[in-house]
Amino acid sequence: MEPMQPSDSALISLYIAGKEEAFALLLERHKRRVFTTIMLIVKDTVVAEDLLQDTFIKAVHTMKSGRYNEEGKFSSYICRIAHNLAIDNFRRQKRNPQLNLDATGHAFNSLTYAEEGIDATLTRDETHARLRELIQELPAAQKEVLIMRHYGDMSFQEIADATGVSINTALGRMRYALINLRKKMTAQPDIYDQNLYPRDAAPVCVQRIAS
Amino acid sequence: MIKTFTHETLLQYVYNELPAEQQVEVEQALVHDADLAARCADLLLAQRCLDALQSTPSDRATQNILNYSRTFLRAS
Repeated sequence: MEPMQPSDSALISLYIAGKEEAFALLLERHKRRVFTTIMLIVKDTVVAEDLLQDTFIKAVHTMKSGRYNEEGKFSSYICRIAHNLAIDNFRRQKRNPQLNLDATGHAFNSLTYAEEGIDATLTRDETHARLRELIQELPAAQKEVLIMRHYGDMSFQEIADATGVSINTALGRMRYALINLRKKMTAQPDIYDQNLYPRDAAPVCVQRIAS
Repeated sequence: MIKTFTHETLLQYVYNELPAEQQVEVEQALVHDADLAARCADLLLAQRCLDALQSTPSDRATQNILNYSRTFLRAS
């Protein structure tokens, strides 16, 4: 049996009380979701890492100055900060585009595939890269809900509140985001990965044993 | 009578957002309604697909954040 993990709320209390290790655990628990949320918006590893740091630095300030509001989940709180910073950055970049010579152009290049062959890794890399492109091609409102719900861990109600729409609209946008993604994926068999997204998922069968 | 559920309700189900009572209702319906089960499986596959895109920041970025937190403590 896995040992019980302390809740985010307990870690925050410990951190505010001066236990730095609690913050390290909190960071470890949430950094991938936050980083992915940012990456899907800014599409640049260097910028995303800067924004990741800014996000957690804001949280450090809020928690250590006693202004952290215990209501709501930490995951939603931290992803909301990340999302806002990423959107601000995206808008700034749109106004003043800059060429980043450090960026390799291979977003998400730190994905790790333990114990996989090179071919399998390359195929998966390509599939993931294409899927990321397909997410970028979604209408902005659908993309926003998908990122906030799936990577930001915000509830549909929280997303509705944050974006000023009804919960039904938020749910509808998520629904169409997934439908659109699926359509696009299945329309491109060359990038299609059966392990990730089977086109014709076999129905569940009950095998009858002849008596 | 088999209760029908909208796609939106199923979305809330796969993201664990339904109240306990409604969650049980969906689970009971999944046993009897093959179409509902297939739609639910689709959503779970989509979740798995999106999960696979998660990425990890560099150790340097993580370490910078931890260092900042420790420095902030000393400064205040």
